[in-house]
This record gives sequence, C-alpha cells and structure tokens, in this order.
Amino acid sequence: MKALSKQTRSIKPAEVEKKWHIIDAEGLIVGRLATIVANILRGKHKPSFTPHVDCGDHVVIINADKVKFTGNKLGQKTYYKHTGHPGGIKGITAGKVLESRFPERVLEKAVERMIPRGPLGRQQMRALHLYNGTEHPHDGQKPEVLDVASMNRKNKAAQ
Amino acid sequence: MPRIKRGVTTRQKHKRLLDQAKGYRGRRKNTIRVARQAVEKAGQYAYRDRKVKKRNFRALWIQRINAAVRAEGITYSQFMHGAKLAGIELDRKVMADLAMNEAESFALIIKQAKDALPA
Repeated sequence: MKALSKQTRSIKPAEVEKKWHIIDAEGLIVGRLATIVANILRGKHKPSFTPHVDCGDHVVIINADKVKFTGNKLGQKTYYKHTGHPGGIKGITAGKVLESRFPERVLEKAVERMIPRGPLGRQQMRALHLYNGTEHPHDGQKPEVLDVASMNRKNKAAQ
Repeated sequence: MPRIKRGVTTRQKHKRLLDQAKGYRGRRKNTIRVARQAVEKAGQYAYRDRKVKKRNFRALWIQRINAAVRAEGITYSQFMHGAKLAGIELDRKVMADLAMNEAESFALIIKQAKDALPA
C-alpha cells in the first residue's frame, strides 16, 4: 500500500479519464434529467473531482425532443432574450421550442443553466451531445447506457 | 554632526515596496502611491484567504467523499452518521484521499458505515 499523501491532490487535465454515457430521454422530465446530466458533465460523480479542471464525462442524449414537462410549463415556461433595442424583450414558450426546428434546445438550455458560466462551463457543455432521433454518430466511443428512469420514479412522466 | 539626506531611505523604502508589487497590472506595479495601496490590500487578502483556504478544502473533501459514497447508494450525510456510529474516526481529508486513491479500502469503510446505520 502506497503512503497517503499529505496534500490534497488536484487531478491534472492529462490524467482525466473521459467516459461516455448515453441516455434515452424519451418521456423523461426535463429538469430532473438536466441535473443528472449537469453533474456528470462537471465530474461531480467522481471521487477525483477538481473544481478548476474539466474532469467530467461525455453525455450523449438521444430522443432529446421527446422530453416532458410537468404541470403547465409547456405553455407557461418562457425563455426570454433581449434584442438590445428599447422594448426589445422577446420570449418563446417551451412548448413552441419543442415544436420548432430545434426541439433539443429545451434540454440544452436546461443543462446550460445548471452549469457554472465561464470558460470551463463552456468547455464542459461541449461534452454534451444531443440528438433528436435514436441515431447518433458516437458508437465508436462505446457509450455506456444510463437508465435515468430507474433512478427515481419521478424522473419519468406518468403515462 | 553629519547631515542626513532623506532621499536615500525613501528610495530604499520605495524600492522594497515596488519589488513586492512586481507582476501587478497597470500603474500598480510602478507608481509608488498606487503600488503601496495594492500591496497593503494584497496582504489583507492573503491574511483572510489563509483562513478561507481551510474552508475551501473541507468543502472539496466533502464533495469528493459525497461522489464516492453516492456511487454506493447512500448520501454524504447518511455516510457520516454511519461512520460515527461505526466508530470510524478518520477525518474528511484522509477519507477524501482514500476515496480518490484507494477506492478498495474506502469501499470497506463505506460498507462499515452502511452496516452501522439503523435499517
């Protein structure tokens, strides 16, 4: 047994082992799924977690357009942006985004807002790969299946 | 009595201060008035942050322990309670080190803490 170190070690960027996970988002609740994904992207599930190093894993999400909301959020949850002009605040409801050309943005936004903003956060967001159908080009990375629905009965929308 | 010129000591004082302000940005590195303020403030931050450092590290150890025990299906608080009941007196620093570098031995500790928890 090697001696314990006296100092708390930070993991170095070169030592980080990036794994791949795959999640089927069909029927899952957006916010609950996003917390799990955000934690994996940040690496908070690893005992070697280091706050200033990107030590998270890659997450592939298929069926990202088939996520669900609880309550009335489809019609009421609004994403705001400001154009910069006076009175230029615009909003789009979550339901409209899901019906748009890029329905995966709902989940992307949810995860992005759960990750600390900054250069490191942007780097960690790059490890998130969202796909609308079941097709994805990451078979070569051999992603491990992560069954989010079985973690908690509230993770999946009631039928 | 010899005449004492003040410029000599002043220059020495300024030199020592500017040496401490090396690497600062803008005028803070070469203007004595601003540099003095910056060095003073730096000392205050250093004094405060020697204490903050201890809290930060404790928080990091807790995050690492939490990551390790959650993989075994219990939370940090449950684990710490179990560890106390089991009479494990390792501190968080050692536990975090074990969790990171000696996963097998830490798994035994988690098992002990789990068994000590009332069902």
